[in-house]
Amino acid sequence: MLQMRGITKRFPGVLASDNVNFDVRAGEVHTLLGENGAGKSTLMKILYGLYQQDEGEILLHGEPVRLNSPADAISHGVGMIHQHFMLVPTLTVAENVALGLQSGRAPFSDLKNVSKRITELSRSFGLHVFPDEYVWQLSVGERQRVEIIKALYRDASILILDEPTAVLTPSEVDDIFVIFKRLAADGRGLVFISHKLKEVLELSDRITVLRHGRVTGDTTPAQSDRHDLARLMVGREVKLAPDAHAVQPGEPLLVIENLFVDGDRGKHAVQGLSLEVRSGEILGIAGISGNGQRELAEAIAGLRPSQSGKITLAGHDTTRCKPRQIREKGLSYVPEERMKDGAVGEFDIKENIILLNHDKEPFCSKGFLQFGTIAEHSRKLVKAYAVKTPSIDTTTKNLSGGNIQKVIMARELSAGPKVLLASQPTRGVDIGAAEYIHERIARQREKGTASIVISEDLDEVMALSDRIAVMFDGRIMGIIPRKEATRESIGLLMTGEQQHGAKQRA
Amino acid sequence: MRKLRLCLSALLVAAMVIAPATLMAAGKALRVAIIAPSAQNDLAFTQSIVDGIKAIQKEREIELAITDGTFIVEDAAAAIRDYAKKGFDLVIAHGSQYGGSLKEIAPDFPETAFAWGTSADTFGLANVSSYEAASDEGGYVMGVMAAAMSKKGGVGVIGPIEVGDAKLYVNGFVNGAKAQNPKIRAKVNYIGSFSDVALAAEAAKAHMAAGADVLTGTAQMVVGAIGAARAKRVPWFGTQANQTSLAPEIVVASQVYKWEVVLKQIIADMDKGVKGGKKYGINLANEGIVIEFNDGYKLDPAVKELGMKTIAGIKDGSIKTGNATP
Amino acid sequence: MVDSFAVLIIVSTIASGIRLATPFLLASLGEALGQRSGVLNLGVDGVMLIGAFGAYYTVLQTNNPYLGLLVGIGVGVIMGVFYGFITLYLQAEQGVSGIGIYLFGLGMSDLLFQKFVGTPRPILPFMPLHFPVLSDLPVVGEMLFQHSIIVYIAFGLVPVMGFILKHTTYGLNIRAIGENPEAADSLGVSVTATRYSAIIIGNSLAGLAGAALAIELGIFQQNLTNAMGFIAIALVYFGAWSPKGVMIGSLVFGLVQAIVLQCKTFGVIPRSASDLAAMAPAIITILALVVVAKRFKQPSALTKPYVRGS
Repeated sequence: MLQMRGITKRFPGVLASDNVNFDVRAGEVHTLLGENGAGKSTLMKILYGLYQQDEGEILLHGEPVRLNSPADAISHGVGMIHQHFMLVPTLTVAENVALGLQSGRAPFSDLKNVSKRITELSRSFGLHVFPDEYVWQLSVGERQRVEIIKALYRDASILILDEPTAVLTPSEVDDIFVIFKRLAADGRGLVFISHKLKEVLELSDRITVLRHGRVTGDTTPAQSDRHDLARLMVGREVKLAPDAHAVQPGEPLLVIENLFVDGDRGKHAVQGLSLEVRSGEILGIAGISGNGQRELAEAIAGLRPSQSGKITLAGHDTTRCKPRQIREKGLSYVPEERMKDGAVGEFDIKENIILLNHDKEPFCSKGFLQFGTIAEHSRKLVKAYAVKTPSIDTTTKNLSGGNIQKVIMARELSAGPKVLLASQPTRGVDIGAAEYIHERIARQREKGTASIVISEDLDEVMALSDRIAVMFDGRIMGIIPRKEATRESIGLLMTGEQQHGAKQRA
Repeated sequence: MRKLRLCLSALLVAAMVIAPATLMAAGKALRVAIIAPSAQNDLAFTQSIVDGIKAIQKEREIELAITDGTFIVEDAAAAIRDYAKKGFDLVIAHGSQYGGSLKEIAPDFPETAFAWGTSADTFGLANVSSYEAASDEGGYVMGVMAAAMSKKGGVGVIGPIEVGDAKLYVNGFVNGAKAQNPKIRAKVNYIGSFSDVALAAEAAKAHMAAGADVLTGTAQMVVGAIGAARAKRVPWFGTQANQTSLAPEIVVASQVYKWEVVLKQIIADMDKGVKGGKKYGINLANEGIVIEFNDGYKLDPAVKELGMKTIAGIKDGSIKTGNATP
Repeated sequence: MVDSFAVLIIVSTIASGIRLATPFLLASLGEALGQRSGVLNLGVDGVMLIGAFGAYYTVLQTNNPYLGLLVGIGVGVIMGVFYGFITLYLQAEQGVSGIGIYLFGLGMSDLLFQKFVGTPRPILPFMPLHFPVLSDLPVVGEMLFQHSIIVYIAFGLVPVMGFILKHTTYGLNIRAIGENPEAADSLGVSVTATRYSAIIIGNSLAGLAGAALAIELGIFQQNLTNAMGFIAIALVYFGAWSPKGVMIGSLVFGLVQAIVLQCKTFGVIPRSASDLAAMAPAIITILALVVVAKRFKQPSALTKPYVRGS
């Protein structure tokens, strides 16, 4: 039903899409797989009318079409579920769906009929969407289903799913896959965009792999496995999990006892949480975002006050310490928002590398920055951490996400931390860089660092951790050793189900 | 494209700001400069000084430059300094709020004569003279007449802020009214603003609701009050300029400043080489203050007679206005 | 006797508060609409001034106050087209360009006044309307039913605007664009066209507010609005961007002004404190703003120009 032939799109200095052929048949899920910047989004933005191709043609239902705007695409039956939801939180579900539609009672809106139709659609596809709820009240999974309703309401026969699972819990992923399969069975064509190999293999009928704007592979789940796909994406062999050198855990370096931390909205975001991390081990913290992980991380780093409880870092009580004092006690922190809390985008690389030590010897002497030392140190780290950059004077924000993260890792790990706290270390980072970052964190084990990795990416947590703690509603629901952990057992804890039989550490 | 947009919008914004200002300034370069807070045809404070200098222009050649509407003191200060730099002979800072600026600027330009008012302070500087109006005298005369006209026994006064010329006038008016009728309810409302026309209108309405049947007021925001009075046909006494044209049906009389009396003295002194250090004043006696009656208003001849008598009394000193204490 | 006098004073105070609130209400309704669509207009006061002059000059020439109102609206439309061009096409920073519009309005209205009128002359104001029965009711009659037409237009617009925002497709578009323009764009709603229309309507209400002021007062002079437009912007925040809230804000502001005025007239507030008391409406508004505004969030996209794909 859709054919894209020889699509080429040039941006200044970049060939974002290079003679790409792509097609979708009714009733199938066709996956578009690739790293960030491989050209998946460009291709789909062309299909959705947000960009126009320089060369090539698009055929919908056999007819050549020119899509100049989303409105064109919608009228041709193309619907898109955006990765960042295109919803207005302050409006109801029905209002969000009605937005942009011709009203039957123009100029007045016709929410009654819209609501009726939403309920029908919701019922027939098992979406559990209720028209009168406000979007801000909904969970991420529910919001996604609202997006699906929006597309269905507009009779989308081709649905573009832009990384739809990025924000979902494992059980939500299972649910949404059922819905996707139902939509395909209904005769629609689905384009699934993802870089999560496991999901791609599970859902797809066909897979097209893109790299640097070019198709590098056309395959099916039957013909390939994760390693094949990763190789097609990255262009070389990729280790999907770092080699684990078993290290005997030593003394506890981070001990948290009965910690309470307030969230931005006042209520307790962390409620009576206790855990300990030992030298030489990696504790993964899994959980759906918004269950207190961010507040926990900020409390450990001293960026957010703790209401009660105690944090002991390398034998010192750091509960009430300032961030700087905590760092001096041996904490390194890789924050979740790398461009907001981790690095200064406008600074160049060398400035970011010495950022937290810029007032200390040897980078600073009597209040003057020692440029020679700084440059030498930066050059060393850029090389050691394989940061891809033209020079150490490049403005940091011009680097890719993966390389910025490497700069931050270089700064944090070069401090020789006793405790490493890494929040979402590979979110938005391409596979190659993620592999490298995982490698680095794993290597800290041998140096005796106690590491905490907070991640929503279950695969990441399971690949890295010695033990996996699951957070829900500000509490640890359970801690499972890696060898015993399964996606199912962790997924269950993530939804707040208390674990049976597993011991919860105090 | 972005840069172009940026440039274009910056240009547009700049043009929007500058256009009215340059169009306004299209005048000739002159030897006497006036800096005043409101519009030169405000039928009030600013117009009075402009009319004064224009009256002298009929007798001798004066090149006149006016910067009006400088209700921001910093703008006024910049204008004062600018005129002094350009070599104006006499720079008149017409507004008591400009005193502080003048005190700083005048010593830098000893060749320039500065005059400011309304005030009685020359800062002890040899090139600064001050002028003021005995506005309590006209106020007193009109207060007497207002009390005589009031049938309900209530008069209302609207003022801006209790300072300077306004305070003198209001106190004079209230004293005059009480002298004529000790039982009169003379209510005064300082609205706290020189420019809030809408509030002045409501103040007039409040006075009328409270039983005032003759009104007066001072400063440039009273145009609103005059409108409110006009709607209810309540008689009005004006001050600072002849306000008859604002409401011919209700304006009984206006106290008018003839600043030319003062300006003539100042210029005469300048001819003699005296650049300042003196205090000048206008009053009923030197005819710098006159009461102009509105011929279109049917005023009871007895009341007018009373007014004329009061003027004569103040001129010969037999009536005291009880200056500054209500 | 005393009692009936007290009632009389209370009635006239409330009536006065309603009159004072009217221009604020018109201007802030317009500003609220613009802000709901994500555009801040700090130039309200300037638009009001030009609208006021346009209306004043029209009535001076034609003696028709209704024509004056129309001219005020027309001036607002022109200013809206202008402001929309600057903020939507040139994508200028909204704060700065709004101030530009204000200064333009302040200067231009005075320039036109000097050039075409010069010495202020009074114009024919609106006559208070007289409703059969209603206007003759004791107490309520004078309080609510003896105002000029513009008061009823302003307060009548409150439910109209509420309805438009809540129950029409246009209103839905505006609410969506003020919060998440990308979402609206992705569904084929033109962000630029919607914002443009909101700006034009908002500015025409500002022009109407200025016209109402000039005609109600029967006069024009330099800076007639005395920064009312800025208060109107504050009232939008006070009213949490809802027409009803904006109305309550305007009424509070107007009533406090009227009460202070009345208290000063009767000497309840000593003359020595009168300058302080003059600040009361502003202070009360700021306090209420601090208390109220904390609980509501401004439209997320306010002041942010929309560029597709960025």
